[in-house]
Amino acid sequence: MATPDEHNRRLSDRRAIHIAYAQAVPLTYCIDSDLCLHLNGTGHCSRCSDACPADAVDFLMSAQENTIRVGAIIMAPGFSPYNPQGKGSWGYGVLDNVITSPEMERLLSSCGPTSGRLLRPSDNRPVKQLAFIQCIGSRDPHPCGHGYCSSVCCMTAIKEAMIARDNDCELEVTVFYSDMRTHGKGFDRYFQRASDKQIRFTRCRPHGIEPAGKDGALRVRTINEQGRQLEETFDLIVLSVGLEIQEPTIQLASLAGIHLGPEHFASTSSFQPVLSSKKGIYICGAFSGPKNISLSIEQGSAAAAAAASLLMSRRDTKTRKLRLPPAQPPAAAVKTGVFLCHCGNNISETINLETVRKQISVLKSVSHVEEVLFGCSQDTRELIIDLVRSLGLNRIVIAACSPKTHEALFRRTIREAGLNEYLLEMANIRNHDSWVHALDPDAATDKAVDLIKMAVAAVMLKRPVTANTAAVKQTALVVGGGVTGMTAAINLADQGFPVDLVEKTDRLGGNGLNLHRTWNGEHVPPYIKKLQAQVLDHPGITVHFCATVLDAGGHAGNFHTTIRDHKEHRRIITHGAGIIAVGGKRSLPDEYGYGKIPGVVAAVEFDALHIYNDIRVSRGSSFVFIQCVGSRDETHNYCSRVCCTHSVQSAIELKKEDPNRQVYILFREMRTYGLRESLYNRALELGVIFINYEQFGKPKVKSHDEQITVEVWDHILHRPLHIMADMIILASGILPNPDAGRLASLFRVNIDEDGFFQEAHPKLRPVDLPTDGLFVAGLAHAPKPIEESISQALAASARAATLLSQKEICLDAVKAVVDDKHCDGCALCIDVCPYQAITPLETIDADGEQHKLVAVDTMRCTGCGICQGTCPKRAINVVDFTYEQLTAKIEAALN
Amino acid sequence: MTAGSSPPAFTLQTSSHPLYTNPALADICMGCGSCAGACPISGIDSMDPRKLIRMATLKMEKELLSLDWPWKCTLCGRCEQACPVGVEIVELIRTLRSTRKRALVPGSIQLGGTTCLEQGNNIGIPKDDFLQVLHELQEETKKCTGPDSSVPIDVRGSRLLITVNSKIPFVEPENLQWWWRIFYAAGESWTIPADNWEAVNWGFFSGDDDAARTMVGRIVDNLERLSCQALLLPECGHAAHATITGLQRWFPEALKQYTIYTALDLLTEYIDTKRIRINKGLCYERTTYHDPCHYSRNDWVTPAGNSAEQARKITRTCCPNFIEMTPNRRDSYCCGAGGGTMATPFEAERIFHGRIKARQIRETGARVVVTSCPTCRDQLQAVLNREFELDIKVRFPWQLVSEALLPAEKQP
Repeated sequence: MATPDEHNRRLSDRRAIHIAYAQAVPLTYCIDSDLCLHLNGTGHCSRCSDACPADAVDFLMSAQENTIRVGAIIMAPGFSPYNPQGKGSWGYGVLDNVITSPEMERLLSSCGPTSGRLLRPSDNRPVKQLAFIQCIGSRDPHPCGHGYCSSVCCMTAIKEAMIARDNDCELEVTVFYSDMRTHGKGFDRYFQRASDKQIRFTRCRPHGIEPAGKDGALRVRTINEQGRQLEETFDLIVLSVGLEIQEPTIQLASLAGIHLGPEHFASTSSFQPVLSSKKGIYICGAFSGPKNISLSIEQGSAAAAAAASLLMSRRDTKTRKLRLPPAQPPAAAVKTGVFLCHCGNNISETINLETVRKQISVLKSVSHVEEVLFGCSQDTRELIIDLVRSLGLNRIVIAACSPKTHEALFRRTIREAGLNEYLLEMANIRNHDSWVHALDPDAATDKAVDLIKMAVAAVMLKRPVTANTAAVKQTALVVGGGVTGMTAAINLADQGFPVDLVEKTDRLGGNGLNLHRTWNGEHVPPYIKKLQAQVLDHPGITVHFCATVLDAGGHAGNFHTTIRDHKEHRRIITHGAGIIAVGGKRSLPDEYGYGKIPGVVAAVEFDALHIYNDIRVSRGSSFVFIQCVGSRDETHNYCSRVCCTHSVQSAIELKKEDPNRQVYILFREMRTYGLRESLYNRALELGVIFINYEQFGKPKVKSHDEQITVEVWDHILHRPLHIMADMIILASGILPNPDAGRLASLFRVNIDEDGFFQEAHPKLRPVDLPTDGLFVAGLAHAPKPIEESISQALAASARAATLLSQKEICLDAVKAVVDDKHCDGCALCIDVCPYQAITPLETIDADGEQHKLVAVDTMRCTGCGICQGTCPKRAINVVDFTYEQLTAKIEAALN
Repeated sequence: MTAGSSPPAFTLQTSSHPLYTNPALADICMGCGSCAGACPISGIDSMDPRKLIRMATLKMEKELLSLDWPWKCTLCGRCEQACPVGVEIVELIRTLRSTRKRALVPGSIQLGGTTCLEQGNNIGIPKDDFLQVLHELQEETKKCTGPDSSVPIDVRGSRLLITVNSKIPFVEPENLQWWWRIFYAAGESWTIPADNWEAVNWGFFSGDDDAARTMVGRIVDNLERLSCQALLLPECGHAAHATITGLQRWFPEALKQYTIYTALDLLTEYIDTKRIRINKGLCYERTTYHDPCHYSRNDWVTPAGNSAEQARKITRTCCPNFIEMTPNRRDSYCCGAGGGTMATPFEAERIFHGRIKARQIRETGARVVVTSCPTCRDQLQAVLNREFELDIKVRFPWQLVSEALLPAEKQP
């Protein structure tokens, strides 16, 4: 029975019995009860249960209700993509070649319905002209969609456009947009790269899509940037659909009794961005507003931190400890067991495993070969344990998928069987073979034999390895006493980990002291006061005022950082984890007459003048905000993220105080992302006038007889406008902390090209620094508003707590090992080691002779192998990747 | 603009809007360009709806009122339909039209409105001439309807009051006969007023709300005077729009008291209640339907009515070889003659406006185009047919129904 495959966005079919998608966890088949003839009552088919060798099909299995008593709930129900069917004039569902961005994602995927080739759904012809239309269902309250900005679609479109262009350099790609909202870290650079790749960005929203002729071509009519109407045709148009919260999530929220705000997003406070309206229920991800992967991941950690602090008193009360049999000393004779995984049919459909089994069985060291349906399933793991024990196997080869995802699991399995976990080798016959050679099964089978022979050769040479453990000092150091640093410190201390908080000034609060309200109108000063009091009163937090970090050393679980405090005392703080929250700095404008014309002020100064109702503000009748001052230019090639929202908020205040005031905002892209879009709409409604300028046509500010005039080119009328202004407010950006570079080198981490701390992975490890045990949050990482800094602070705290909650940590045994006999201390490896893990060493032997050597700090070494590749004496080897093992593999492959 | 010459700078100063107070007329615009892409006459006079809105937002009143562009616009509403934030663009253009000095109103729009106020119809047909034409037509119609039928003029207590488009009695009288045959077949009780029978409301075009109100008020007077229960706005998208909008605005009580039929409402009711029977398959030539903007795009139509679907049902019944133009219904392109532009001197613009409609018709390969609006019919048949060599015949749904009527004795 076939039905459209939801994972492939209905672009291909699947059967009633299917695996949801290749990376599904658990990777097991499930039966679609609506489609199954047995279950939906239309027939008596039971072919699957008859055929299943494991007797795993149970038609009587039904949904069960379980009651679980918990102290906290984290809700991460996510979002649904907006469905444009029947809405607007996009022709989605009517015109075959109009698809949505999630569908485009599948079309571009190598395991998608077209194996990654960009083909028109109407006739499977290659696409030549591709267009993206932004803001489908977002920033579109009138005909069909939502008023808010979905925040992620601009980057999604650029990414999809880039992949499509990478696959086909002849492809013409156009992106129709209103404002390119690439406000994330490094996103503006990505946007520029896309422009450099000849992807055309047109600032205009097409009103609809029409068929052009009968062959599936599509016509779009737009106004170009010169104001001319254009008619263009495309083969494929991607609707960049927004994010929305749909009914099941709304019902779940209602069951949980939590409050949803406008457009059904969970309401949260900027100060507690992961706490729902109900105590003990936490929220993360797009449920509380549209957000991208890294922000969602941060919020996941943040929610965990918040819940951990609530449940502090119950920590470890439900933890179960794994008891393992003692590892057996290795027997003299090598007995290798090889397990051939079918991976459902992922492997067996292409590779003839019977042939493989025959060829592997005859190898000398192999004493047993077993075919298994799913190597990673619980019953197979039990089978492996049984066979190790009953046959006395002492080396194991798993021919299956990637060690990246499954090695840890199989190591644990053989350890449970009493083998040392390092006596294992994996042969990746799925990702490297059956998937990529699906069209040539014979060659794939030959390759599988070679890969397994190589693994068998390598595993023979393996010896039991004991991993080192290290004691963890269960305290943390937080560098920086702003909102981010204070939030992280309080959370960690609440979780029971003592914190040393290092603040370079004599006051807590940092940049937050300049803020007055959050984007949704909450007052910042009282909140900062509360934080300050909490930090100062907390028995678990020691604050070091007027302190700077002088030196740093050690490793995860045991750092020692030297600081100098206000009394010029040096002290060494030992700590298990560290959070860098050193913030950023406001940029001082050097253009538009700042500092020369009295009416020209920076936003921070204007806020103060506005609050104290300075006469220039109270009597002013014409205000001009200029955006992107010190952001998105040659020297600061990034978006400062907060300034658009801030100027719009100030403009609204000015208009609310006196509607007769003239307020103008001169902008490059209006980036009131996410739910902030409502502020932009409010400002428009109040009569704030927005004028778009480009970097090459900046506004000119002139002053004559105390009258300030601003000249700017109007992007819609294509003519110059002159504005008589009483005040010019420059939305000056955020700079990195000037001390960031020095701190980064002390802590052996990196700063990015803009001077902000570089995280380990921008998406998957957004708050981890590349050095284990160190984390980053707040403006030190990139410009961001207060609620995102708080989320990040909690995320960093959660990540630190996963380390600090262990008394000792087990280190990976895959490290560089020096062969003293051959090392002559030439030090070439010292220079290339990226982790400064190798140091020179001099020894004196029994004869009193001096030897030069090197020593490896196993705490720092990551086993990357660069030293091994550099050593001219072959005197340094990485465990599990020794010359001997690599040579054996190569020989096995060549023979 | 040509290279080298830079347009003059505009100095922004004024703080209050001289033209409007509702921010939805322009201020809420975020400049996305949807409207300018949707408008068929973007580019004429270097203008487009977005620029117009922008000029309003920037309070460029003097320049706005000097523009002829709002009079070249057909008020088709495609821009407003496309707008993501709901800028009331049509209302803005009507405001510009009404604010302009009357002497600067182009063409005969203002004159028609004045004539109507003075003489009861737009082209000043004297009452005697009107009645004579009706009687002559009736003589001719008797051939089809039988000797006992007569034109019911000012018959008190009739159920249905009919208005007339002043162009019809002399220029295309058959239009009246089509309806009369249908009324006869349906056994309708109906009447035509002897005075103030005009339905076309040029006050609505010129932006003269006082005049528009007077004209709608006259229809209400006739309904009361003749004790009718229902009003039919027989043929014109504009007349129906202007009258119903006027009733909503100024005579909400009348809107509740009387049943208001559009032509399509009444035809549908007759067919659905089997008061008339029609021959399925009147015409087998390839046929398409052109949506008049007022009938297809706006939600003003009588509550249960969905004019676009009603029109298609009738057209498909009579002309089974039916093909749609795409886009259609709400997204339909204007033919170019709405908004009173027929009465303006802007002929070249009107033709340019219709180019997209002409292409759509050509792409369908249809020989017959059905539409429910006389102005659309005139533009399609007389102007676009000639300019774009379309070789089409244009027909009304009531014409189709009238021709497809099965005689009473032959009804099964």
